[in-house]
Formats: sequence, structure tokens, C-alpha cells
Amino acid sequence: MPDPENGPVSDAPPANPERRDFLTRLGVGACAAAAVGSGLVTLDFMKPKVLFEPSTTFRAGSPADYPDGTVRFNKEQKAYVVGCPGGVYALSAVCTHLGCITRFLSDQGVIACPCHGSRFDLEGNVVEGPAPRPLPWLDVGLDPSGLLVVDTSITVAHGKVFKA
Amino acid sequence: MTTLSLDSVFRRLRDTDAWRSVVRHGTASTNRNRSLVVFENLFLHVHPVKVREKTLRFTHTYWLGGIALACALILVATGVLLMFYYHPSVPQAYRDMKELEFVVDNGLFLRNMHRWAAHLMVFATFLHMMRVFFHRAYRPPRQFNWVVGVVLLCVTLLLSYTGYLLPWDQLAFWGVSVGTNMAKEAPLVGEKARFLLLGGNIVSENALLRFYVLHCVVLPVALLLMLSVHIWRVRKDGGVQGPPEAPRGKEEVR
Amino acid sequence: MSTLPPIELVEGVDPVATPRRIALVRPDRRPAVRTTDEKYVMTFPNLILREVILFQLVVIGLALAAILFDAPLEGIANPLETPNPAKAPWYFLGLQELLHYFPPVVAGVLMPALVVIALVVIPYARINQTAGPLWEGAGPQRPLTLAAAGGAVVALFAAFRCWPIAVPTAGVLLAMFAARGGAGAGRVRRALTKVTLPEWIMVWFAIVATILTVIGTFFRGPGWSFVWPWTRAVAF
Repeated sequence: MPDPENGPVSDAPPANPERRDFLTRLGVGACAAAAVGSGLVTLDFMKPKVLFEPSTTFRAGSPADYPDGTVRFNKEQKAYVVGCPGGVYALSAVCTHLGCITRFLSDQGVIACPCHGSRFDLEGNVVEGPAPRPLPWLDVGLDPSGLLVVDTSITVAHGKVFKA
Repeated sequence: MTTLSLDSVFRRLRDTDAWRSVVRHGTASTNRNRSLVVFENLFLHVHPVKVREKTLRFTHTYWLGGIALACALILVATGVLLMFYYHPSVPQAYRDMKELEFVVDNGLFLRNMHRWAAHLMVFATFLHMMRVFFHRAYRPPRQFNWVVGVVLLCVTLLLSYTGYLLPWDQLAFWGVSVGTNMAKEAPLVGEKARFLLLGGNIVSENALLRFYVLHCVVLPVALLLMLSVHIWRVRKDGGVQGPPEAPRGKEEVR
Repeated sequence: MSTLPPIELVEGVDPVATPRRIALVRPDRRPAVRTTDEKYVMTFPNLILREVILFQLVVIGLALAAILFDAPLEGIANPLETPNPAKAPWYFLGLQELLHYFPPVVAGVLMPALVVIALVVIPYARINQTAGPLWEGAGPQRPLTLAAAGGAVVALFAAFRCWPIAVPTAGVLLAMFAARGGAGAGRVRRALTKVTLPEWIMVWFAIVATILTVIGTFFRGPGWSFVWPWTRAVAF
């Protein structure tokens, strides 16, 4: 029975199917574009642009302070500075497993992680435990006054000893 | 003169116009009024007017979902109260913990209750999932509600985990450091996801603020929304026992 | 006996304003009405009162716990000082225990992702709808298939020296075969023989998850070494 108020609901095909199809695609497409766009903008918003994180470089004294076998631990920068025959190198103290701070056990001559039992030798190689990679070697340089400068944000090739 | 018993006070209260404007049904203990208690209440009408007696048995549900829901309500109540004394900043967050512990009246009690309710909720949710699995209550027509339940379990774990950082003590800091370093190991997106979650490369004040917003706004809203869907679907899919069994010995009339 | 008032009939003048629904029901074609033998009770008070009591019991229990036990609070966060051992909250200690045996990408990402995916697909996997008791109608090759698959899982975890998983896996496997032989008496036997394959898998998952979590929580000390639980305090 036709309803004069609301009009009949027709099942007949539209007079212009291409036009209807185009409008449907336009509508769905516009909604999708808006959703993706606002998602990307929100994601970008969530990325902090200014970080107030501590400086990544530190001075480690003069090369003469590191005779062969010396290990010094810089607590704030989480790095070891190690003296070896003919030079100095720096090792990250952050465990490659899950980021705990390792400790140098001088009596056993190993670097040990307190969290999951990883152990490293003085060159950073994994001796034991679940750590997937050796401890990264860090960039070591000299400042104008002849003091060692370590940058913990730059890793260098394993075995690259700094020769003063 | 009638004696002023508690019962008569209530009866007189129920007869006032103001009371009747709120609760429309009558006071007599008839099944009609009992139906209306459920039917005319926004919160109670997630229930049907009648339930199968079987489903009330303790061993049917062990009330595990109910325990998890009760914990969620307690967590919202205690959590909102704790927010009045908490600043998500370093080192004020830790000082606020000390203030709650030693200065604020009942501060320690509320913090304790919030913590134990959180642990109980994780535990009850897990047991609830086990109960539903072994009762095969995930079978049609309730498949989707099982999926909603898995999402709720994840949201519950995330809520508990984001709350874990807020006291800003050693336990919190290293628990979250270890956990977010796991995310770092995910291929392709791991490093970026961790940076976004923490708002930086290390667990710092940015991370505390982010976890605070997630813990106090984003995740509770998500939990309550999903919880509503979950509970509503329990009824829509046939109650805690699923659709009723067909009568035995009789053929279904078609 | 009182007499009922006469029924007053109101006839709608305008059929749009006063609609009437008319249904014709033929005796041989009644609309399907789902009926059941089960006994129904009123939600109020039967269910509502139980819910209120449950809520009160949870509140009382938690209030007692809050009075008796204090939430842990250690020293202020110090990024330079890793406590030994550094532990995640208890519900992640099963994962942290896994990290002791497997590389992080496996234990921290792959395994939890697999668990979540497995949980989501449970109601959509056909085996969960149709599986009967494990040994019902089993052909001669089913025990061989099961032994091979179970043995492979045990061998895999044993190869990683992950005994907290390998040993319970072997135990569950034994229980599965015991159910075939009809081990146990009376109720235990009947319960064991009824368990389906998906249920055995879930039992296995629950046991392994519990064992890993308990070990991680109570039996791990400095350097993630094995300790007895009574030698150190546990903070939740």
C-alpha cells in the first residue's frame, strides 16, 4: 500500500547507475581520506619534537689514565671506558637484551647484567645468557685540550680501538 | 497511632509523589512489580526479567566475571580519589606517594585497595576466560563476545601496566623499562612504537605523563565501552548459559 | 463475588492514529515459539541480590587486604641504578622468564602475539566446535601423530634448555596417553576420557603459563639466578 507521507520504497534499479556508483565511491572515499588523514595528523602530533634528555657526550680524562686493563664505569652516561694495549675504547653499559645497566665484576673480569643473567667479556662479546648482540662500541675522540670525549649516541665498529 | 518502624518509614517514603516520580512501579511483591524493577531501570535492564535457575548456581560461573566487574568499579572509585592527590611529574609523583602514605587520611588505604583490586582484576579476568573456555561458552552464537573478552583482557593488562609506572619508584621505573624494551625488539615498528609510547628514547617525565593519560582517560574509557558491549552481548546471545535448550521428548513446533 | 465492570469498547475512527494489529493464526501453522523445560526464576530478587552480595564480598575482601598488606613502594626512580633483579609486574614475569631462554624477538614479541592470535581465533576454528573426546573413534595413526607432534614440541623446548616448558609438556602428553589407556578410577577416569584436543591444549597452556609465572615471581633472584622463595621478599 503506498504511504503518501513517506513515499513508497522502490526496489527498482536507479535511473542512472553510474551516477549512483560514482556518488557512493565519492562518499566512501571522502570518509576514508578524512579518517586516514586525521589518523596521520594525530600520529604526528604524538611524536615529541623537543626532547629534554641528558647530553650524550662526556669527558673521560686523558688517555694516559688508561693503562692496559683499566676499566672505568661512567654511571650517568652508562658506559665503560677500557684501556687496552695501544689505546682506549668505550663500551655501552646498557645490556643489549632488555636495557638493564650492566656491572663490571672486577674479581671475575666480566660485565654482568642483573636482570636476566647475561655476561659479557671486556670487549663486549656475549659470554653467557640471553643477550642477542655484543655490547656496542662507542665513539671515542679527543677534545682540543687533549681529553678523551665519548659520545654514547654514536656506535662504532666492534674492535675499533682509539689510538691516542 | 502506628509505631514508627523502619518498615513503615520506607512504606511512607515510597508513597510520596517524589518517590513515585523516580520509581514508577508499585511496592507490592508481585511478579509484575519484580519485572518492572528490572525492566524500567537503565542499569538493570541488561538483565532479562527472568533468568534460568541453572545459571544462578555457583559452579555455573563461579561469579568470576562478576568479580572482575566489581574490581573494575572499585578501581574507578579509588582511582578517581587518588587522582586528587597525584601530579604526573618528576619528582612530584613520588612525593605524592609519600604524602598519600604518611599524610593524607586513608591515603594509604585507598592506594592499597587500588593496587590489590588491580591484581585481583587481572587474576579474575584470566580465570573467567578459562571458565568460559572449558564450559565451551565461546561456541555460536557467542563467538564475537569471546573476541570482545580477549580485547578486554588486553585492555586490563595495559591498564595495570600503565598504572605500574605512576608511583615513580624503582619498582615502577625498571618494570616499565624492561617491558618497553621488549616492544623495541618487534621488527620494523618496535623502535617507533616504543618512542611514541614513551614520548622519547628513555623512560622519563614524558613517559610518565603519557602513561598517566592512558591510565586515567584513554584505557578506562575503552574498558568501560568494551565492558558495556560485553555485558550487553551476554544477554543478546542468550544469557550466561547461552540459548535455552530445546525441551526433551517433545518436538519443536514449527 | 463482585461483578466486573462492563468492558468498554473503543473503536478507532482513524486507522492511522489508532493502528490495530491483526494476525491470522492457523492451527497447523503456528509461529515458532522456542520453548524449554528449564525452570525460570525472577531476576529480581534472585539474581540482583546475589550480585549485590558478590559486590559486597569483593569490597570486604579487598578492604581487608588493603588494611593487612601495604602496596610496595621502593626508593624514588633512579635510571642509573638497576635493582638486582629488575622485575616486571607479576603477570609479565612468565614472559620475563621466557626471555631467559629465548631471544627477545621470540619471547617478547612472537610468543605473546601468537597467544593473542590463538585466543582470538578459538571460536572461529572448526575443531573447537566439532571436536569430540580425544580418543573417541581414533584410528591407529592418531597416537603416532600425537606422539610425533608432542615429542617435537618437547624436543624444541628442550633444545633451548627451557625445562619449565619441556617438562610440563611431557607431563601433559603422558596424561593424554593415560586418558587413552583409561587411567584413574571412577570420576577421574570419566573426566579424563571426555577431554577434547583443544581442551588438552588449553590445559597445557594454562599449566605452562602458571609454572613460568610462579618461577619468575618466586624463584628468581639476583642475576635471574634460581633462588628459594623464602630467601627473599617479593614485591607485587
